[in-house]
Amino acid sequence: MDKLASLLHTSPAIAWMVAKLVIVFAGVFSLAAVWTWVERRGSAMIQDRIGPNRAALFGKIKIIGLAQPLADGIKFFFKEDLVPHDANKGLFWLAPFLALVPALMGFAVIPFGRSFVSGGQEYHLALLDPGNGMGLLYPLAIGGMAVYGVLVAAWSSNNKWSILGGMRSSAAMVSYEIGMSLAVVALFMRAGGYDPSEIITAQGGTLWKVLPNWNIFHQPLGFIVFFTCMFAETNRLPFDFAEGESEIVAGFNTEYGSMKFSLLALSEYCHLMTASALMATLYFGGWQVPFVQDPSVMLSVLSFLVKMLFFAWVFVWIRWTLPRFRYDQLMHLGWKAMLPMSMVNLVFHAWRMSQGH
Amino acid sequence: MGVVVKKVELSWLDRTYVWPVMKGMGITFQHFLKQLFTPTAKRYTIQYPDMKKEMPEGYRGLHELKRFEDGAIKCVACFMCQEACPARCISIEAEEFSDLNITQGFEEKRPAKFSIDMLRCIYCGMCEEACPKDAIWLRKDYEVAAYDRLSLLYGKWDLMNTYTATDGKERIAQDPTPSVPRRTIAL
Amino acid sequence: MFITFALITLLGALGMLLQKNVVVAGLCMVAAFFGVAGLFVLLANPVAAALQIIVYTGAIMVLVLFVIMMLNSHEEEAGAARPVQRWLSLALIAVLAFAAVKLVLASAGLNALAVKGAEMPQAMTLQKVGTTLFADHLLGFEVAGLVLLAAMIGAVALTKRNL
Repeated sequence: MDKLASLLHTSPAIAWMVAKLVIVFAGVFSLAAVWTWVERRGSAMIQDRIGPNRAALFGKIKIIGLAQPLADGIKFFFKEDLVPHDANKGLFWLAPFLALVPALMGFAVIPFGRSFVSGGQEYHLALLDPGNGMGLLYPLAIGGMAVYGVLVAAWSSNNKWSILGGMRSSAAMVSYEIGMSLAVVALFMRAGGYDPSEIITAQGGTLWKVLPNWNIFHQPLGFIVFFTCMFAETNRLPFDFAEGESEIVAGFNTEYGSMKFSLLALSEYCHLMTASALMATLYFGGWQVPFVQDPSVMLSVLSFLVKMLFFAWVFVWIRWTLPRFRYDQLMHLGWKAMLPMSMVNLVFHAWRMSQGH
Repeated sequence: MGVVVKKVELSWLDRTYVWPVMKGMGITFQHFLKQLFTPTAKRYTIQYPDMKKEMPEGYRGLHELKRFEDGAIKCVACFMCQEACPARCISIEAEEFSDLNITQGFEEKRPAKFSIDMLRCIYCGMCEEACPKDAIWLRKDYEVAAYDRLSLLYGKWDLMNTYTATDGKERIAQDPTPSVPRRTIAL
Repeated sequence: MFITFALITLLGALGMLLQKNVVVAGLCMVAAFFGVAGLFVLLANPVAAALQIIVYTGAIMVLVLFVIMMLNSHEEEAGAARPVQRWLSLALIAVLAFAAVKLVLASAGLNALAVKGAEMPQAMTLQKVGTTLFADHLLGFEVAGLVLLAAMIGAVALTKRNL
């Protein structure tokens, strides 16, 4: 890293920052692209089908259809870019970016490996170094911003289905954010801090010698609430009201085509990646490796990746298992089940902490 | 008459919603694993251009005009199939001929032209039923597609050669005997 | 950085006032909130910035936009304000701006900044916010909670006539 930095005439810190930026954003972006294939292939397998397996590089190398995202990308690039006649042109253009940017930004605070020291300099494997003061409030805040992409896309396309989708997603967002935040607050209390690195450090070691000391074993109720709310946040299937293909055509992205649509679709998968990374960090010990006291850097990154990809797969898995909720059922669940459950979780852990001291 | 639908009482475990979801996920995962470890040949999906479905007995596909061992056409141009055809897609032109050296030679007629418009044909098999000589039958090929309408107007030689590839027979494009009117044959 | 965020805030606020279209005005307001959050970060108070985004842009503005979309009022309000109203509002703005500037200039923090080598304030953390709320300003916090509870009960009572 030092040599590279001197080659580029910058300090190691700046070179490291740039490297991290490229790794994180390119990584999340390409993972999201691959996940479109995983989703299609996984759904096919679950339904006893085969899925896209024919796209081939140079017409020869098939690699079980992994070239499919590439082919899709090329197709999207060359499609005609239509803007509806009565749409609000500026906002119509802005919406895909409003959707994509928060989805990518949310990942910035998550440590994807343990920090290491090299050449007298400490390197952190997270875009925002620990102790930045924002901590885990940051992904919550960014998650709140994410709904604007959907809302703006819905409103600017001047289509009834779109507006219905946008309204549904905004109402769903408001009713789920509170339960999610309260579930996270209970975690802050256990870790005694709200920085992701503190939360991960608090999850090291073992619980009763048989289980890893992960938050899920301490707060299963909180995990269920958070997990459910993540589905509402990412607009994924049991709660995909913004899209609702079977009821409102394609919801907020009905009028979108070509590259703008692909950005909207990719932003959903980026969001999925961020959400699964958050779940891995908050409830499954982030980069901690179970039963290993001091994992090496590579091992910690690998552990984090495995956890994150597992949750990304769970998102796909659940999507092809559960049917969609009705809109009022979602509200019912959000306000009458999720909120009280997270309250109970919070109060119970506050009580336990007060007993402990 | 209305039907009284009995409401299903859910147990407390089912009402938590978490347990049923996990059961459902178990089922989907079983399917996933099953599909993942099934070899391609045994999956439900038949990957069409590479694999083809074996058509059941009695399937009515593309027609074939049968021939004798020596390559002479069995059809005697009796026009029964043309009459029987509900879609009126068969058109025949007969010609006179005779040559006693050839199987066909016992007959006095054969089609000079025999065409089926595959775009009009409904594959009902009536021609097969009507044929007194078992000269036309519908077999199992279902891949009838072309770039223009004219190439789907199958002529006599097309119809005689439709299954040469599957049967491993030789393609023929000429009658073994030239069509010669009987009276010109020297007695 | 300060100039950027200040410009975002000001342009957002201006856009909100001048836009004819209600939804676009609402989005301008979101931009203004975002600019304010950026200013909070520059003031070494990331907690306030995060809360600003979570509460204002993430919840309140979403609700406002939701209501706007649901009512979907396309007709603009007719009739300009009377001249008296215009003059009154201008005068009010002038007085408020004057008072605000005066307050800022008279604040102790600004004087401390003017002194060279003064200690920069530590970055605000969630822990500090908690101690401030629950130790120093406990009474105010409880009173605010009571007021909000009363407002909530009032809202329920107003909308649901027959409980």
